[in-house]
Amino acid sequence: MAVAATCAWAQFINDGLTQPKPRNGEAVEYLYPEQVTVAAGKPSQVSLHFRIAQGLHINSHTPHDEFLIPTVFSIPAGKGVKLTHIDYPKGIDITLPANPQEKLSVYTNDFILDAQIVAEPGNHLVEAKLCFQACDQRECMPPKTIPVAIDIIGK
Amino acid sequence: MPLPRRKTLALIAASALLFLIALASRRHWKQTPTPHADPATFIGKPAPDFALKDLNGRTLRLSDLRGKAVLLNFWATWCGPCMLETPWLSALRDKYARQGFEVVGISTEGEDLTPNDSAGHARQLAAVRKFVALTHPSYPILLDGDSICRLYGDQEALPTSFYLNKEGVIVAVQMGLHPESEIEADIRKALAQQPAHGAVQQ
Repeated sequence: MAVAATCAWAQFINDGLTQPKPRNGEAVEYLYPEQVTVAAGKPSQVSLHFRIAQGLHINSHTPHDEFLIPTVFSIPAGKGVKLTHIDYPKGIDITLPANPQEKLSVYTNDFILDAQIVAEPGNHLVEAKLCFQACDQRECMPPKTIPVAIDIIGK
Repeated sequence: MPLPRRKTLALIAASALLFLIALASRRHWKQTPTPHADPATFIGKPAPDFALKDLNGRTLRLSDLRGKAVLLNFWATWCGPCMLETPWLSALRDKYARQGFEVVGISTEGEDLTPNDSAGHARQLAAVRKFVALTHPSYPILLDGDSICRLYGDQEALPTSFYLNKEGVIVAVQMGLHPESEIEADIRKALAQQPAHGAVQQ
């Protein structure tokens, strides 16, 4: 058992060393869409695509532990576009080699947020926000908010 | 041909002034390392002094611990690996306390709150109190680590630990979660006062 634990630690440390460590701010990247056209004044569904850097995970919208910071998407008020509802994907349960007893609810790789918005007529350059907190298997980066720029046209 | 006395005096005064400017610049540089400085650059150097309040409002100054080997542990409530290593640090602190060893936990929530953000500070304090109530660290926990992060290289990730020997010199740095055995090895290194053999572990 001690040997197995040592091997797990060795693997754990090796994984940590081989994973690329992104510079601050690059843990999550907004992919697309850059522009959407929706019916003005009516609820419309928009799927927002994000990518998490290799080797990292971010907490899902509903982490299991109260101390962990959830992923939250928001659109600032007063920009001609209102976020009326958002469907977050269900997190994937993972455990880390250093703590196999505790399950973490996380997003990894690519994930999609389905946002329901209502846009006023016209062209709105919206700078939405995604708040998240990223970790790899050994360490965690501070909570981060990235801008999500979308050109929303209400017709 | 000898310089006139007035010129000689002016030359000496100018040299002294240049020396003082150079000294002041060096002191300033030493107190303000570059943001995101490579932790390796801290090895063998005196740990920058700071003063922070603990959960009871008492101020702890690092220089008050001179004469003890110290593990400065930068952590955050939202950091899973930090929570995992807290009981190890407590046990190791208790194991080596009689040899003159202390751990100082520095809460570093990374939110860059302004001094006037009372709601933000209250939220952070509540989170730290809850974390402490859950993990029962046997060592002091200091608040507002964000205000001193820059002195220690503005860590990009947590946990990050600096190991200081009894003279206050940094002998090792660990970034990220390490096995308890490696933490203990660096504590022994700090107790043995071997600044020349310092190392950074990633």
